[in-house]
Amino acid sequence: MRFTRLQAGLFSTLLVPFASAQANEINPDISVVLDGYYKQNATALSHRDEGFGLGHTELSLSAPIDDLFTGRLTAVLEEHHGETEVALEEAYLQTTGMPWNLSVRGGRFLSQVGYLNSRHMHEDNFVERPAAYRALLGSHYFDDGLRVNLLMPTPFFWQIGAEAFNGNRLTEGDEDIGVYTLNTRFGGDIGVSQSWQAGLSYLRNRQLHGDEHGDDHDDHGHDEHDHDHSHAAAYTGENLYIADLVWKWSPDGNTRQQQLTLSGEYLYADELNEHARSSDYHQGWYTSAVYRFTPQWSVGARYGRVDLKEAHGDHFHDQQLKETDVMLAWSRSHFSTLRLQYTHQSAHGFDDADNTVTLQYVMTFGAHGAHDF
Amino acid sequence: MISKPNRLAWVFGWLLALASMPASANLNVFACEPEWASLVSALLPDANITTATTAWQDPHYIEARPSLIAAMRKADLAVCTGASLEAGWLPSLISRAANRKIQPGSDGLFFAADHAPLHQSHDHVDRSMGDVHPEGDPHLHLSPDAIPLVASALAERLVSLAPDQQAQIQVRYIRWRGEWNQQRQSWRSAARQLEGTGVVTQHSTFDYLLRWLGIEVIADLEPKPGLPPGSTHLRNVLATPELGRASVIMVASYQDDRPARWLSAQSGVPAIVLPGTVTGQPDGETLEQVISLIINTLLNYQEPTNVD
Repeated sequence: MRFTRLQAGLFSTLLVPFASAQANEINPDISVVLDGYYKQNATALSHRDEGFGLGHTELSLSAPIDDLFTGRLTAVLEEHHGETEVALEEAYLQTTGMPWNLSVRGGRFLSQVGYLNSRHMHEDNFVERPAAYRALLGSHYFDDGLRVNLLMPTPFFWQIGAEAFNGNRLTEGDEDIGVYTLNTRFGGDIGVSQSWQAGLSYLRNRQLHGDEHGDDHDDHGHDEHDHDHSHAAAYTGENLYIADLVWKWSPDGNTRQQQLTLSGEYLYADELNEHARSSDYHQGWYTSAVYRFTPQWSVGARYGRVDLKEAHGDHFHDQQLKETDVMLAWSRSHFSTLRLQYTHQSAHGFDDADNTVTLQYVMTFGAHGAHDF
Repeated sequence: MISKPNRLAWVFGWLLALASMPASANLNVFACEPEWASLVSALLPDANITTATTAWQDPHYIEARPSLIAAMRKADLAVCTGASLEAGWLPSLISRAANRKIQPGSDGLFFAADHAPLHQSHDHVDRSMGDVHPEGDPHLHLSPDAIPLVASALAERLVSLAPDQQAQIQVRYIRWRGEWNQQRQSWRSAARQLEGTGVVTQHSTFDYLLRWLGIEVIADLEPKPGLPPGSTHLRNVLATPELGRASVIMVASYQDDRPARWLSAQSGVPAIVLPGTVTGQPDGETLEQVISLIINTLLNYQEPTNVD
């Protein structure tokens, strides 16, 4: 009797996935992002090679684990110089049952410094992250660690957070906690059609004691060297400060029909190594405007520059990259985007700076992605 | 003068005091759409309600913006449509607000679609069909039969969260139900005039009501659910022989009305913009008023044809 009931139970569990699409609720949300492109010329500090290529192909699984935890796993496949790299970009658990609007995330995840860093690359409005992000954060900094976030009990949005990371994905080193970050964000609405968010972040890199870094005298092409393996940042400092501001506007707040997004960030890094003087620092910023003028079409422009110090033994060489991007994107549905972008680079100290046209697609299938601000 | 550590302690103490302030007696309610805000305020008028969207905003495409995270942070109850209508923003809001009262499966999260049968549920969906929800059409808020089921479940949920107000909530629910039934009688008699007529729509926003009234949807301006009307599809609609039977082209207040105006100019079928939900304006403060407004408008466009 008991046996048959068990059998029946097992049988129905097996059948459920076939019986109805709603049974999907037991299974994790699966989403896939396809990102491919054609790029006319190679450019400086870029993570995308010229010609046809695949960008950030992503497979993501997420689900509640139980009533106290949710989890997410994101694997990324990237092509570099003909080699496919598989990277684990996210593998974390997050609490859902903490008091006082506290949340804790542990495992591997994207650091929440700055505005763009915690976002997935496929949500971006341009083919690549701004030059300052590529140089100082390797486009997006993720690592193994722990995050604690607290929402303050204020009538407006105010979040403070701290992260501690292994740090080896930014700079190799021996510290147990190689990187820690502090971050705060504020935001709100102005009337029904405008909303904004401002953030301040601090990232401390404790693995830059000047030992290995800066002594790679033979390694002139930092940027070149860097895309072979993980996207560790090519330029680092013991302290990295980021300020960001985002403002969005939609008539009547109806983001479906039209949306104008203005955003900008400023990044500053100092204490580059033991030879650095107070005048030696990295600095970069960008500002971008994207206007989605119908549900399917958007245009955007972005200007950014980064001033860098390339370490050569006990001294530094100045480098500078200015970048202007103009893009036009078409989205058939919520889940597909084709993008045409023109990038103009003018540089000092980069041999490979060039202008390029890039045609890119970003397609998602599976679980509905999040419309984050 | 306060020394630095003291000042920090002072700030921290102040923040702690703020955090531990006794929650106000009134329930904080986060309503994803204005129709649920109006239902909550009918049942619990002194609730502090934040409404995430308006009748001029497409509820599919809201962003998890800071002000909504702040509202979700302090909510005791979130009332949403469910059936994946808010799939793009509600999970993100819930996760970022880290409010343990509002979590999937908890009493603090109420989905209207869980309490009424949905039309057009699918065993199989893929996105080549458009943005179709496997659970069924989530736009149930204008359904004369579904809303009482939702209201009854909502009243029950409010009682469980504010047990001291049980009697008042139950009295208000019975009164609300009486008024709704009375209105439904008048809608039923209007339906006798409207039954068998046809309309053109854009998305399934009004489908529950149209089905209830016995009105046929002759064509949808969206080529697939969730895709904006394109010129190829509009030309196909224009070529539909049944288009002549349509009394109106209905567009919801949050939709772009240009495709409907174009089709109207080409075909002579009048295009009308109707509130997609509760607007807060004098003729659209409650769901009853919105449904009555839609039915009366449809009746107005019916009469000339009857006279002919």
